[in-house]
Amino acid sequence: VTFLVSSALVVLAAYGLYIAALVARRGVGFGDGGADIPGWAVMFSLAGLMVAGVGVGDQIALIGRYGLQAAHPAMGIVLGSMAGLLVHKRLWVAARVAGLATPGEAIGRYYGSVTLRVLMLVLALLFALPFAANLLSGAAQVINLATGGAIPRVPAVWVMSFFLFLPAVVGGWRAIILGTAFQAALLAVAILLTVAMGEGLLIEPGFFNGGIPVAEGIMWDSIPGVIQPVAGIGKVMPQGGIFTAVGVGSTALIWVGLMLSPGMLYLAQTARGGTSGGFGAVWLTAGLGGGLLLVVLPLLAARGNLMEKLFEIAPFAGLGAVLVTVVGAQMTVAFMTSSGSILVTREIVLPFVLPGLSSRGQRLAIRIALATGFFMLAIIAAFAPGLSAVIGSLALPLAVQLLPALLGLCFIRWISRGSVIAGLVFGMLIVFFTEPPGLILFEGLFLELPWGRWPLTVHSAAWGLGFNAGVVLLAAIFTARGSERAHRDRLHDEFSARWSIPRGWPSGRAALWSLTLIWAFFALGPGAILGNTFFSRPVFAQGEAALGLPALWVWQLLFWLIGIALTWWLAHRSRLGVTDARLIRSIDLPDPAGYDAVRAPGWIASGIGRLTERTR
Amino acid sequence: MNSPHQSGTINRLDRHALVMAVWLPLGFVALTLIHRGFAAGQGWWVAAGFAPLLLGFATHLIINAVTGISFTSREVSLALSGYALALLALVFSVLLTPGFATTFLLPVGAGMIVLAGAVIFYMVTSFGLRRAFDLFDVIRDNNPRRSSRLPHRGGRK
Repeated sequence: VTFLVSSALVVLAAYGLYIAALVARRGVGFGDGGADIPGWAVMFSLAGLMVAGVGVGDQIALIGRYGLQAAHPAMGIVLGSMAGLLVHKRLWVAARVAGLATPGEAIGRYYGSVTLRVLMLVLALLFALPFAANLLSGAAQVINLATGGAIPRVPAVWVMSFFLFLPAVVGGWRAIILGTAFQAALLAVAILLTVAMGEGLLIEPGFFNGGIPVAEGIMWDSIPGVIQPVAGIGKVMPQGGIFTAVGVGSTALIWVGLMLSPGMLYLAQTARGGTSGGFGAVWLTAGLGGGLLLVVLPLLAARGNLMEKLFEIAPFAGLGAVLVTVVGAQMTVAFMTSSGSILVTREIVLPFVLPGLSSRGQRLAIRIALATGFFMLAIIAAFAPGLSAVIGSLALPLAVQLLPALLGLCFIRWISRGSVIAGLVFGMLIVFFTEPPGLILFEGLFLELPWGRWPLTVHSAAWGLGFNAGVVLLAAIFTARGSERAHRDRLHDEFSARWSIPRGWPSGRAALWSLTLIWAFFALGPGAILGNTFFSRPVFAQGEAALGLPALWVWQLLFWLIGIALTWWLAHRSRLGVTDARLIRSIDLPDPAGYDAVRAPGWIASGIGRLTERTR
Repeated sequence: MNSPHQSGTINRLDRHALVMAVWLPLGFVALTLIHRGFAAGQGWWVAAGFAPLLLGFATHLIINAVTGISFTSREVSLALSGYALALLALVFSVLLTPGFATTFLLPVGAGMIVLAGAVIFYMVTSFGLRRAFDLFDVIRDNNPRRSSRLPHRGGRK
C-alpha cells in the first residue's frame, strides 16, 4: 500500500512539474497566464474546486455522521454556479475594459476604497494559509492512515507542499490552472471509480440496502424540522441532526462563498473569452459536480471505511479511495495558496512597495511570494492543524459577505462605497461571532456568550449575509446619489451599452427570477422539508408508496436536475456564460482615491519609509 | 499580446495538457479494472478495462476536432509502441503462462481487436480507404520523384 500511494503521489508531482516546465518554456505571463487561460482548464478547475473546496473527506465524514440531511446543502453547488455566472462574466469584462486585473483592484478601484482592497487581500490570505493548511493537514492524515503510519503526517505535509510549490514557481499561474484542471478530472474519475468498485465488490449492504448507518437519534433519511430554537452547536445540539431546512439553505451558501473567493474571481478574470464559462457552469459545476456531491457521495459514506476494505480486495480501487481525499485537497491547496501569493504580490507589492519593476523583477517577486506562501502553509499545516481548522472555518462564510459588493460592481449601481464597507464590517463581525474563532476568543477573554456556533441551526454565512445585506440596503438609501455615483456609472454604462442581458420574450427575466426563487425555496429553503415524505407518503394517497429509495434522496435528485435547467437558462438564454473579446472597448476608470500605482496609501508609504531608513 | 507563432505553440500546449488530463485518469481506471481482473481470475473485469481506453480514444478524437490539431507524431508512436508491447505481452503470456489462454485470451484478444477496429474505423471515416492505406504505405514513399511533392499532382507518388 505504501508503495502504491507513494507512486501515485510521485506521478502527480511529476505531471505537475512536467506541465510547468512546458509552460515555462513558452514564457507566457507568469502571474496571470497571459490573461488567456484556456476555457477547458477554467471549467474543469472551477468545477473541481467547487467539489473539493469544502473538503471531500470532510463532506463524506459529515454524511456518514448525519446522513442525507448533511448531503443536502451540497445543492449549494448549483447556487454557487449561478452566483459565478452572475459575477464572473462582468468581472472578466471589467478586467478588459477598465484594466481591473485582480479582484482587489476591481472592487477597490470601482468603489474607490483601499479598505476594500485590504479586506479582499485578508480574505485571499485566509484561503491561502489556514483554510489550505487545514485541507493539507487532512490529506496528510489520510496518507498516514492509508500507509499504516509508514508515511507520518508531518513529513507528508512538507513533501506535499514542496511538490505543490514546484510547479507553481516554475510555470506560474497557467501551470497551476492546468495542473488543477488535470487533478479535477482525476478527482471526478476517482470518486466514480471508488463508488463503482465499492458497489461491485463489497458484499455487505450499502446505501441501497441498508441506508447510511448513523448514531441513535440522528434522522439519516430526513431533514429534522424547518428550524430548531437552539442556541447553537457547543451549547445545545439540535434533535435529529444539525441540518434543518433552514440549516440546509444557510449552509448551502458556503458554495457561493467558494465561488466568490478571491482566487476563483481571479481565475474568472484571467480566463479566455468564449462560451466555455457557461458550458462549465451548467454541465460540469452544477451538473457533474452537483451529481457527485448529492448523488454519489452518500453511496461512499454508506460504506464506512471503504479505503481499508478496498485495499484488501482491489488495491488500485483502494488507491482510488485515497486519491478522492488527497487529490481534492492537493488541488485546492495548490490553487488557494498560489492565488493568494500572486494576489498579495500584484495588489500590494508591485503597485505600492516596488513600483516600476521590470517583468523579470515582477516574476521574481511573485516567485518569492510563492515560496513564502508555501513555506508558511507547510509550517501551519504541520505544527498547528487545530489552529488552522479553527481559523480556516472563517474563510468560506466571510467570502459570502462579498456578495453585495460584487453585485454592486456588476449590476446594482446605487450600492455605494459607504454602504458596502458598513455591510461588510457588520457581516464579518457577525460571522466571526457565530464561528469558533470569535466564540473561543470572546469566551476565553471575557464571558460566556448565550449562543454557540450557528444559532437556531442557521449557518454563520447566512447570519452574516442577512445583516450585511440589511445594512447595505439601509445605508444605500442615504448614499445612493453621493458624489462617487458618476464614477461608478462609467462602468455600468459600458455594461449596459455592450454587455446587457437580453430580455428574451416579454417578462422572461421576471420568469427566470421567480422560478429561481421558487426553486431555491423548495430545493434549499423551508420547502425542502416536504422532501422528507413527498415521495414515500404522497399527500393525496392514503398509504405509503413503495419507492425503494429514501424519499429525500429522490427530492434532492429532482431539484438538482431542475437547478441544472435554471443554470442553463442563466448561462445561455441570459448569456451570462458567454464572453466575446471582440466587444471589448477600453474605458477610463481612474481610482477616485488617487491610488493608481502612482501614490501609495499613506500607511504603506510611511511603513516602507521607516523600513528603508532603518536598513540604511 | 502573443504573436501568431506563440499562440500556436500555446494552443498546442493547452491541447497537450487536455489530452493528458483525459488519458491519465482514464488510464488509471483501465489499470484498476484490468489489475482486478487478472488478480481475481475474472475475464470480464479485464474486458471492462478496455472500455476506458475506448472512451479515451473517442475523447481524444473530440479534442482533435475542437482544437483543429490532429494526432502528433509522438502520440502516434507512443500509442503504437504501447499496442505492440501489449500484443507481445499477450503472446508471451499465452505461450508461457499455463491456463492464461483459457481465462484471459478471449477478453484481452477481443479488447485489442476492438481497439484496433476503433482506430481503423476512425481512419477510414476521416481519411477514406485509399488515404488511410497510403498513410501506412511506406514502400511507395521509398524513392519518391521530386515532382510528386508539387501540390497540383494530388499526392501521386
